[in-house]
Amino acid sequence: MWAYTLRRILSAIPTVFVVITVCYLLLHATPGGPFDSDRKVSEAVLANLQAKYHLDLPLWQQYLLYLKGLLQGDLGASFRYADWSVNDLVAKALPVSLSIGGAAMLLSIVIGVSLGIMAALRQNSVIDHFVMLLGNVGSAVPSFVLGPVMIIVFAIGLQWLPAGGWHDFEVRFMILPIALLTVINVATIGRVMRGSLIEVMHSGFIRTARAKGLPTRIVVLRHALKPALLPVVSVLGPLAISSITAALVTETVFSLPGLGKLIVNGAGNRDYTLVLGLVVLITLLTVTLNLLVDLAYAWLDPKIRY
Amino acid sequence: MPSHFKLTAAAALILAITGTSLAAVIPPGTQLHPSQTFVRSNGSEPESMDPAVAETVPANQIMRDLFEGLTATDTTGKTVPGVAESWKQTNPTTWVFKLRTNAKFSNGDPITAEDFVYGIRRFVDPKTASPYAATFGVFLLNGLEVAQGKKPPSEVGVKALDKYTLEIKTQDPIAFMPELVANTQLGPVHKATVEKWGKEWVKPGHMVGNGAFVLKDWQVNNRIVVEKNPQYWDAANVQLTKVTYLPIEDQFADIKLWESGETDYVYQMPPGVFDKYKAQYPKELRNQAIIGLRYYDFQTKDPVFKDVRVRKALSMVIDRDILSKRVTADGQPPSYSLIVPGVVGADPTPYEWATWPMDKKVAEAKKLLEQAGVKPGTKYTFSYNTSEYHKKMAVFVASEWKTKLGIIMETEAMEFKVLAKKRHDGAFQLARNGWLADYNDATTFLALVRCDSDQNTNFYCDREAEALIQKGTQSSDPIKRKALLTEASKKIMDGYPIIPMVQYSLPRLIKSYVGGYSELNPQDHYRSKDFYIIKH
Repeated sequence: MWAYTLRRILSAIPTVFVVITVCYLLLHATPGGPFDSDRKVSEAVLANLQAKYHLDLPLWQQYLLYLKGLLQGDLGASFRYADWSVNDLVAKALPVSLSIGGAAMLLSIVIGVSLGIMAALRQNSVIDHFVMLLGNVGSAVPSFVLGPVMIIVFAIGLQWLPAGGWHDFEVRFMILPIALLTVINVATIGRVMRGSLIEVMHSGFIRTARAKGLPTRIVVLRHALKPALLPVVSVLGPLAISSITAALVTETVFSLPGLGKLIVNGAGNRDYTLVLGLVVLITLLTVTLNLLVDLAYAWLDPKIRY
Repeated sequence: MPSHFKLTAAAALILAITGTSLAAVIPPGTQLHPSQTFVRSNGSEPESMDPAVAETVPANQIMRDLFEGLTATDTTGKTVPGVAESWKQTNPTTWVFKLRTNAKFSNGDPITAEDFVYGIRRFVDPKTASPYAATFGVFLLNGLEVAQGKKPPSEVGVKALDKYTLEIKTQDPIAFMPELVANTQLGPVHKATVEKWGKEWVKPGHMVGNGAFVLKDWQVNNRIVVEKNPQYWDAANVQLTKVTYLPIEDQFADIKLWESGETDYVYQMPPGVFDKYKAQYPKELRNQAIIGLRYYDFQTKDPVFKDVRVRKALSMVIDRDILSKRVTADGQPPSYSLIVPGVVGADPTPYEWATWPMDKKVAEAKKLLEQAGVKPGTKYTFSYNTSEYHKKMAVFVASEWKTKLGIIMETEAMEFKVLAKKRHDGAFQLARNGWLADYNDATTFLALVRCDSDQNTNFYCDREAEALIQKGTQSSDPIKRKALLTEASKKIMDGYPIIPMVQYSLPRLIKSYVGGYSELNPQDHYRSKDFYIIKH
């Protein structure tokens, strides 16, 4: 297990390197540069701006400089947010995204798995229909519709919660965004859990367990749950990443200062260093989460050995 | 000294002396709320808090609270004394500003003429890389050469005659110098702070400014908080104790935050909701036209648009009234001129056909196209940056051309940066464009259509009109200058380099308890100093 983990970590290095390189080239190949704007700056000012960000050097030299900085943990200076370094920006935005995304993820797993189990055990009952409805609504209604509806109901109508914004981890500002992400994730997790558990409940070893006269509770918790969780675990990796990073819509709708906003602004403004910094961060998160998912497989399924 | 010059100087002096109503004008009987805090949406995160580097409207909005130039703009858009208490034009190209002796930086240091010299030299220095260096620098003696790196910053035409007297020498006679120096880019900078902290000098705890407010908190993409500056020379007349700026880019989120009571001030309403909110919040919906123009650029070097008759025909048939009332539908006035109402230094020159009935315009346009050999079914490509607003306008224009002339307009949407580059490179046929005045003078609009101007993205050049502009800007007689610039503007617009569409306006929701907003400020240069919260 430890050797496997180490191997996976080592094999992640070339992955990260390739992602950075491809992203670097793509960014520079995109038309329009960081200093293109309504107001054309004079040649001398442009030359100074380019020198400041090393854009006057040949691309390969810029790339090597970037890698050198990266190895020292320096993600460079931001173009869009001229007074800040990318390290500063990420350090401020990451906790916001992690807390919203993390809380939503935990809630989604608990609620999604529980609802999925209930729906699977009572197929075609009211609870089953409810889970399926929730699954369909969560998948079909986009977050940019659901989010504003939640604001209209809970912030403007009932005035229970603020319509958006962020005040140093104050809970009332976090409830609506967490709720929105949770509803969307629960839809996926609940549906996958339901389908998978129904399938497991029809398999031979469950029939054996039942034949032994075990009560349903034990059959489900001790025998069926673990194998049924495998597909759920598979979707958790991508879901977790999207909860943290692809929460672009959530952050826009609720005006949150998270990573999503940085990605959108960085890409739109050709902020090469900011986008690359976030790509590095997201790649590392993806690699780590994938590793955790794979390790969870081994725990859930004794047949899997590393 | 010519007699007309004496007139200008006298007028400037009178302005300086009479312009003493400095702070918020609070109507008698108004009861102020015990808590003078104000939360405003500010569109987007400022790109920098360095007054020399700040470029966008949101950044400059905050700059006007944290810094103050020689002069300032009051709530009605009038130029009022700032750090300077009086000024006069001593000869056509020299202005002398007398600084008040009680003006201090936020750390208590007195503000002297040397602080302005340092600030202005730093601003035009190419090392600072200010996007405005050439825009404003062009008015100062040697300013453009310094911004272009051809002369050292010490050569720029600004000098401290004594501790509290500043002399500014200009390239041409600049009648609007008092308005120009209201821009905080040309304001004082605390040298010791910049030298001590370097790039970090703009952060809370480091920044030393001289505005009515000081920077307290700055959380990127979340909030910027400024608090009343007790060292400010006019602090006694500043009502607000705290202003919070929120960088809310999503216009619908902006409205929802306002409706839920989280904010007092919406930055700008999204398109298509004006009527709905006007009905719902008649008192709170405020709308003012500002000096800015939405227009379409012809790439006049492209063979398809080389013929002025084609450009004229296409411009003629767009019904700006319907565009303004039904399409953008947010109170933006239709425009048939490069110079919009409210601009100083030239008059609007609407086309004579603007008032013709549409049938007549269409008949004339068809005739022009026929003469130019353009047949129905001809296709043009229109480039715009992805936005619901621009798309709406483009769809309307395409339908106008299709139904009235049989011309087909194909549209291509792209990111803003891509469009900006395409426009500057001339890699388009027709492109969306817009301009908000950098300062209130006709030259800021003429820059869009002048020969050899960096901002000219239609590549049109009329040498005769250029000569008129040169003559006008070198004249120290404001009446003659205005006549020449108006004539030049008309001459250029008769060459149809652009299609003026609508004048910008700023529809926004403001809580009824916010006092001091006038709807008369043509550049939207409001300062929080002029706002106050009424008891509610």
